This record gives sequence, structure tokens and C-alpha cells, in this order.
Amino acid sequence: MNERDHNRSEERELEQMRKLLKSALPALSDTEPHRDLWPQMLRRLEQAPVRVPWWDWALLAGAIVAICAFPGVLPALLFHL
Amino acid sequence: MNKHLYLRAYLAGIAVPTLMLLVIMAGYAVLRYAVHFPVPIERVIVFPMAVVPNLWGLWNIAFIASHEKLRQSIGIHGMILPFFLAPLGLLAASLLDFSVPHFVFSVLPIAAPVALAAYYLAWKYLVHGLNAVLGIA
Repeated sequence: MNERDHNRSEERELEQMRKLLKSALPALSDTEPHRDLWPQMLRRLEQAPVRVPWWDWALLAGAIVAICAFPGVLPALLFHL
Repeated sequence: MNKHLYLRAYLAGIAVPTLMLLVIMAGYAVLRYAVHFPVPIERVIVFPMAVVPNLWGLWNIAFIASHEKLRQSIGIHGMILPFFLAPLGLLAASLLDFSVPHFVFSVLPIAAPVALAAYYLAWKYLVHGLNAVLGIA
């Protein structure tokens, strides 16, 4: 078999493979959502305003002060976060 | 919207530590390649990269699964996680032949309460917020 025949048979095989793949995986239609979901997401994000009690602020401040006073805790913390 | 409840819980759980990875990886790159920190962090980087986010996801699934029965606070639930993570981290470090720098043990009495506070706040506000956005809070 010369090179030309070889190329031709390879192309035929590729074409057959393409047809088989197309028949096995039909093209999807209607892949877009029916409505825009982003406004709904924004509404949900705005729905619940976060109220932080004073003791949580105190806890956060305490943690920040401890990290500033002992920066060595940071690698240990990041390792577990 | 009760479809794929646990998948959504998992995704909400892994989101926070996955974002933290950016900070960790940036810190890692600076320490190793700019400061030439003489500790082979790359040996244990798999722990914060793979184990921690997955455990957060599974922990959030556990919260959603048990919340109907136990009615526990999500902050307290999240605060319990370091009690599993810390020994696991040490185990991973020893298995990967990583000698933990001595200063880590010396700052442990400070790091432990800071970690508990950080976990409590992260779970109460960040994970709970994500759970609410995904309709599973």
C-alpha cells in the first residue's frame, strides 16, 4: 500500500468515526436557561442582612490582636484553613 | 428547591477554604521562592490544598444532615472541626516526613483559641451565608 492509499483509508476511518460519534451524541438543543437567574441570585444575596452581635466583634478583635502579637500562629492557622 | 441538597451543602462547605487557598499559595510562593524559607512546605501543602476543603464540605453535609434532629448552632458545629483537623494535620505531616518547626508548638496555646474563634466566625457568617444563598440554611 503506497502512502496515498494509506492516507485515503485513514481519512475514511476518521470520517466513519466522526459519523459514529455524531450519531452517538446527538446535538443538544435548548441549553440556555429559560430566564436570567442572576437577578434572582442578587435578590437572595440582598434578602438577609447580616447582623453581627458585639461578642462576635470582640471575638474577631481578640483573634486579630492575638495574631498581631504572635505572628507565629499564622502559619499554623493557614495550614489548617 | 430540595434537589441535590447534599451536593449544595458540599459546595457551600468547600468554597471558603478553597478561596483561602489563594492566600496560602501566595504565602507559600513568597516564603519559598522570595524569602527562601528553609522548610520544605511543598511536602505538606497537599493537606491544606486537598484534605481541608473536602473536610469542610463533608462537615457542612454533616451539619445539614443532622440539623433537623440536633438544631445545633452552625458556629459551634464549625468550631468542633479543628479538633479533627489538628490531629489529622499532624498525622499528615509525620506521614509525609515533614518535621514541624519548633515555633509551631510554642505558639500552640495561642494558636488553638485563635483557630477556634476563626472557625466559629467563618462557619457562622461565611458558610452559613453560602448555605442561605444556596437555599439550604
